[in-house]
Amino acid sequence: MSKIFDWQLVFTEIPALLKYLPVTLQLTGVALIIGWVIGLLIAVVKIHNVLVLRQLCTLFVSVVRGTPIIVQLYLTYFGIPIALKYYNFYNGTSYNVNGIPSIIFAIVALGLNQSAFDSETIRAAIQSVEKGQVEAAKALGMNGIQIFRRVLFPQAVTVALPSLGNSLISLVKGTSLAFTCSVVEITAQGKILAGNSYRYFEAYCSLAIIYWVMTIFIERLFVYLEKKMSVPETVSTEREE
Amino acid sequence: MSVIEIRGLSKKFGKNVVLDNIDLVIHEGDVVAIIGPSGTGKSTLLRSINLLEKPEKGTIKINDQEIDLTTRSAREKLELRKNTEMVFQQFNLFKNRTALENVMEGLMVVKKLKKNEARSIAEKHLQKVGMGDRLSHYPRHLSGGQQQRVAIARALAMDPRLLLMDEPTSALDPELVSEVLITIKKAAQEGNTILLVTHEMNFVRNVANRIIFLENGKIVADGTPKEIFDNPKNQRLKEFLVKIHMLESADYTI
Repeated sequence: MSKIFDWQLVFTEIPALLKYLPVTLQLTGVALIIGWVIGLLIAVVKIHNVLVLRQLCTLFVSVVRGTPIIVQLYLTYFGIPIALKYYNFYNGTSYNVNGIPSIIFAIVALGLNQSAFDSETIRAAIQSVEKGQVEAAKALGMNGIQIFRRVLFPQAVTVALPSLGNSLISLVKGTSLAFTCSVVEITAQGKILAGNSYRYFEAYCSLAIIYWVMTIFIERLFVYLEKKMSVPETVSTEREE
Repeated sequence: MSVIEIRGLSKKFGKNVVLDNIDLVIHEGDVVAIIGPSGTGKSTLLRSINLLEKPEKGTIKINDQEIDLTTRSAREKLELRKNTEMVFQQFNLFKNRTALENVMEGLMVVKKLKKNEARSIAEKHLQKVGMGDRLSHYPRHLSGGQQQRVAIARALAMDPRLLLMDEPTSALDPELVSEVLITIKKAAQEGNTILLVTHEMNFVRNVANRIIFLENGKIVADGTPKEIFDNPKNQRLKEFLVKIHMLESADYTI
């Protein structure tokens, strides 16, 4: 019998897996943006207590947070084609499901999942900004958009960053489930390679290393951003001109 | 002489009438102090004038423009707020901006001035309040008195027709009060029109040229410091002054 554990393969296999890293990054990046944008919209609806919409948002957040992401992936993967068939039936159109790249299903599911989690983070962060800050901006004569852009947003971001970082990390790892929507990203590629060589354990070791390194990178990035955006601890010593 | 006219200002919190049909005419350059027992609507009056509270009724004429205080038009609200500035009890400086950036903010965002223009105006006003050497300090690195002086600079830099001050020294440690009062006095002497809520009676006596005694949402007495402090006619005002005299130094005893 050959080697029980081929540790060299763990490393030599990494380049082959990294070929599919762009897919993982694409899934992450687009889902992240969808998550932030929709999350912000949900947060605004909840803060302003918009009738009907608020209840819908609460229901949405509750459902998404209360179901596993793999179930959500299957729901979009099978649900979107069914919805499309209904749409075609009632409108006499003939849109073809097969024309939709499968990565779209995964992105929709991951993005909506992110938005549900991020909406609560964003809402809490915006509401953590003191009322006096907004009053000061109003008193200066700023309009709603200016207040949001100049006062609420910059202060809320520093509060939200750590949680958003956490949520991004779970998103990166969540993309490993995209194979359920027949998307080949690094995890799917690992399975394919292992299927040929029967070296499953080695493939998963390689994947673990890749995800871990990505996570370390994200952690560092967020620590850096947090430091950059927060008010310095000490008085700056630079001289005024 | 242009004036600011407030007519029929009324405000309720639930069933509690806080402001009851207030009429108030302020002349340019006036320094008007509002005094009165707590809970009589002093702060609410100020906050209603720049619509931080929503009054039920009332109009204000400022800069020859009459604005209904119940207006829903965003444009009218902004117009009113651009003509008035507020100094808050809790300073409310933007925490994430330096002293200089705090003062520049309104100039750049609201008045749309160029950066270097805003900067020179901001520096001028910070210098005036004695904060010229603290331009790049964040609020958390400043004492309460210093923060309030920056807040005053921020308000004055906007060149308001009416400066509203809501108990500007009430949140300060006692030894920091005088630096802020000196700053306010300077602003008054420069001809700014000020409507001020305060409990600093000594200061009011020296700096204000008109005092309004507010009780239960009504203006009960209105006169010069001399009329109010030395010769109070109204019974409620007398009672109020007696109470204050007991707490304050013997300055006012006859």
